[in-house]
Amino acid sequence: MRFSMNPEMATQEVQPSETLSNLKAESDSLKTKLEDERAKLHDVELHQVAEKVDGLGQFIMKTRRTLKGHGNKVLCMDWCKDKRRIVSSSQDGKVIVWDAFTTNKEHAVTMPCTWVMACAYAPSGCAVACGGLDNKCSVYPLSLDKNENLAAKKKSVAMHTNYLSACSFTNSDMQILTSSGDGTCALWDVESGQLLQSFHGHAADVLCLDLAPSETGNTFVSGGCDKKANVWDMRSGQCIQSFETHESDINSVRYYPSGDAFASGSDDATCRLYDLRADREVAIYSKESIIFGASSVDFSLSGRLLFGGYNDYTINVWDVLKGTRVSILFGHENRVSTLRVSPDGTAFCSGSWDHTLRIWA
Amino acid sequence: MSNNMAKIADARKTVEQLKLEVNIERMMVSKAAADLMAFCEAHAKEDPLVTPVPSSENPFREKKFFCAIL
Repeated sequence: MRFSMNPEMATQEVQPSETLSNLKAESDSLKTKLEDERAKLHDVELHQVAEKVDGLGQFIMKTRRTLKGHGNKVLCMDWCKDKRRIVSSSQDGKVIVWDAFTTNKEHAVTMPCTWVMACAYAPSGCAVACGGLDNKCSVYPLSLDKNENLAAKKKSVAMHTNYLSACSFTNSDMQILTSSGDGTCALWDVESGQLLQSFHGHAADVLCLDLAPSETGNTFVSGGCDKKANVWDMRSGQCIQSFETHESDINSVRYYPSGDAFASGSDDATCRLYDLRADREVAIYSKESIIFGASSVDFSLSGRLLFGGYNDYTINVWDVLKGTRVSILFGHENRVSTLRVSPDGTAFCSGSWDHTLRIWA
Repeated sequence: MSNNMAKIADARKTVEQLKLEVNIERMMVSKAAADLMAFCEAHAKEDPLVTPVPSSENPFREKKFFCAIL
């Protein structure tokens, strides 16, 4: 034999296009099988099971603090574990650390790029990570000395080939998970900047990610412009489950506090709940009157309430179990771009294209 | 030719991924929903936005204002 027996060579001799169409047919039939398997378990709707749950009492939340200081659209924010500090980032390149109780600014950094789309607080409270159009994620240690130039201590950790859309520390200051417009997510070692694992599977920009609550193990969920939400095993890089029921970009994903489900917010004007053990969508939070995309979602501490920030400047509060809207909050004067509930659940913070952040309680 | 081989490699990967996803263990929605509800109910009392706490215990609702001494 002149040629070594190589499966690729053997395929070449048959008819490559036929093999491709065989594989396509096989993948189509597997997709149908996946839907069938999921449908078999769909014996009831969540809101039907939830009929016997008590309705929520009267719901009153108001803006209690307004954080002013950004010169342009606020794109992202995150709470510190101390339940009072907040980091926020903006289109004008500024990253600000605030004391939400007093509304004082404690630190400010100017990034070398505009559109800082992602920021995150380190679990220790001693550093923040941020990035955006620079395609990188950088970590800034926070100094107690107000006069110290934070930018001097900056450490570049992640490098993508397109914009950074989201970042999150894992359960320590040592590792960061990132998502990017380049269609991938990646796990990095902060100290060395080394890439520990990369996650391939989205067919377009990845816009958001969220880590599973630590008790549930090493997984995270990501959402993208391919309308898919993927659940990943952090150690192997494998995509474990994939959900494609949204009709447009998924802007935000957030785990339910038990880790058994996650919510998503999309440009299709709906938020949805996916149960990981039933492996399917179990609720859609929508109304005919809501026609603008949901940019950001988060759960209250017990998982009963889902807060969604929308591009029509409002925040809708949903009863997760019953599927109904509990309240609509007005106040921002432009799109709500980011929303997070505080670590102790007493309040949530929203950031907006109107340059401000609001604390609601 | 190599472009075709790349497409075939991608298609193979998609098929393998789908096989993994089809074969995972799943539970009935009724059971999954019951667990979600049980979690909500178990934690409702600790959730300050579901079971309101007195204003004095919510640092954002307090009427006090803080002043920083410069």
